[in-house]
Amino acid sequence: MTVSGYSYEHMFAFSTKRPTLPDDLVATLRPVALATSRRLPLGEPWRALVPGGGLRRGSTVVVQAPPGSGGLSLALSLVSEASTRGHWVAVVGVDDPGVVAIADLGVDLRRVLFVPRPRGAWAESAADLLDGVDLVVVRPPSRAAHGAARKLMDRVRERSIVLIALCEPSAPWPLPADLSFDVTRSQWITSSRLDARYLTVRVAGRGEAVRSAEHVVVLPNRRGRAATS
Amino acid sequence: MDRLLTIWIASLAQESPDGSTLRDYLALLDALSVLCPFTEPVRLGLLALPVRGPSRFFGGEEAVLEAVRQTVHDVVGEEPLLGVADGLFCSELAARAGVVVGVGLTECFRRAQPLDVLGRKDLATTCRRLGLHTVGAFADLEPARVAERFNTHATQLHRVARGELSELAGQRDARLVARLAQLRGEDDVHDEQIGFFGQRGAGDDRAQAAAHRVRRRLGVDAVVVAALCGGRGPQDRATLVPWGSPESVVRDDAPWPGQLHAPSPATTLAHPVAIELRDADDQPVRMGSRGFLSGVPTTLLLSRYARRDVVWHAGPWPIVERWWAVQRRRAHLQIVLTTGEAVLLVAESSRWWLIGIYD
Repeated sequence: MTVSGYSYEHMFAFSTKRPTLPDDLVATLRPVALATSRRLPLGEPWRALVPGGGLRRGSTVVVQAPPGSGGLSLALSLVSEASTRGHWVAVVGVDDPGVVAIADLGVDLRRVLFVPRPRGAWAESAADLLDGVDLVVVRPPSRAAHGAARKLMDRVRERSIVLIALCEPSAPWPLPADLSFDVTRSQWITSSRLDARYLTVRVAGRGEAVRSAEHVVVLPNRRGRAATS
Repeated sequence: MDRLLTIWIASLAQESPDGSTLRDYLALLDALSVLCPFTEPVRLGLLALPVRGPSRFFGGEEAVLEAVRQTVHDVVGEEPLLGVADGLFCSELAARAGVVVGVGLTECFRRAQPLDVLGRKDLATTCRRLGLHTVGAFADLEPARVAERFNTHATQLHRVARGELSELAGQRDARLVARLAQLRGEDDVHDEQIGFFGQRGAGDDRAQAAAHRVRRRLGVDAVVVAALCGGRGPQDRATLVPWGSPESVVRDDAPWPGQLHAPSPATTLAHPVAIELRDADDQPVRMGSRGFLSGVPTTLLLSRYARRDVVWHAGPWPIVERWWAVQRRRAHLQIVLTTGEAVLLVAESSRWWLIGIYD
């Protein structure tokens, strides 16, 4: 059995036999999975809502929201923690990103590449960026073609990075995602100005991921950040 | 719209195989930058500089025109065509005609131009058949009519004709700045973004390579990064610049709001959209000179047929910008629509513009 290059024999070189462990301790042990390096970290409030507390490398995340109801903020809040931990992010097809809002969400702008108007070549641009960054956020200008989406997801799995596709319900992502965030309701809280927005988000996934559940999060709050309600 | 002096030099308009045109152009740009540091390379053969500041320094527009003429004569050895008007589009037309358009007369000047100046033969032909011969006649068409009859290209031209945009899409050569920098031998420095990415690691190099690939595919300004520049508060420190560009070009019409509290709009439109606000009696809502609204906005009109009901608004909050150059009276207004979307509007020159969406 080999874990990242080290064999057990090598680790216990002083003894040819494996050490014997008490049975009750063995029962609590789990195989080494290097969970933290296989997942990109998530910030509040998503850490508690996503299995493993992070985005699994090689997976595709779909954020689906009606236009203007917080989908963009949600997608960017998913990358904020990873960017502050040194991971590079590319944002393809978001035409006019509001830099101040993105900075307020906690995204480290020094590690974000924007490709605002990829014209017809959003899938190709995203594929170009896969080799250089750890997270790619794409907003296809119209319904993504099945073939292009399949190719992109395959490349993402191969390169062990995370793809976040931002779609509208009228033009959904053509393939099932590993994890999906569905904005079902968005409600602004106002005083003498816009204060905060309550988003009802249905988080669903497949495989190890959760059964679908609805959560209410504040995005953005008074300081422009994502928070638990 | 800035009042611009535009310089047209016919002999510098054609690219030469040995690159001498570009070198002469660079020499002229450097010489003019001594007169006015804001001199802009527009495209080969064409330069523009804001005339208001220099004319105060030299003592009038005539003096600036003379100084520029002399400089061009010394550097290139040719008489340039000069013109002064508001905005790059009209300013170039003025230069081609060799005229100075008086203050406040740019609108008249633009409207009197033949339609060919918009640079689209098909549009000019179609309009001529409709009995529209001047830019003014074209501008008087309803934006909605233009949008339904022509393509998006024509909508942009229509906005230029109406004076909502100050320049045509193809008027500037986007690659020229990069090429001039390359000629100066500064190219290596720019591509590396030294000091901008901070400490460099393997991940940074991979990201650079990826950005290069996209740039090769889509063009030099396809990849943009946010530049954090100095500002008074945390809110006015960020702007978007093409990746690898020499420095952050801070544009005075930057669309992101400067003095608003968080939350900020996640989408800030680089090209604001003109909209209308109506009150309950279907009267236009205006921003008065004392910063009050003339009525309570109940409807937002994106065009004649796209109406949205307003459920809540806040503001207007006045903003004073560029107080040293021109007094611009502007104000922000936040609006929530019945669909649950929130948008940010700005009032300027008695019109409302959609500048941000809280997406």
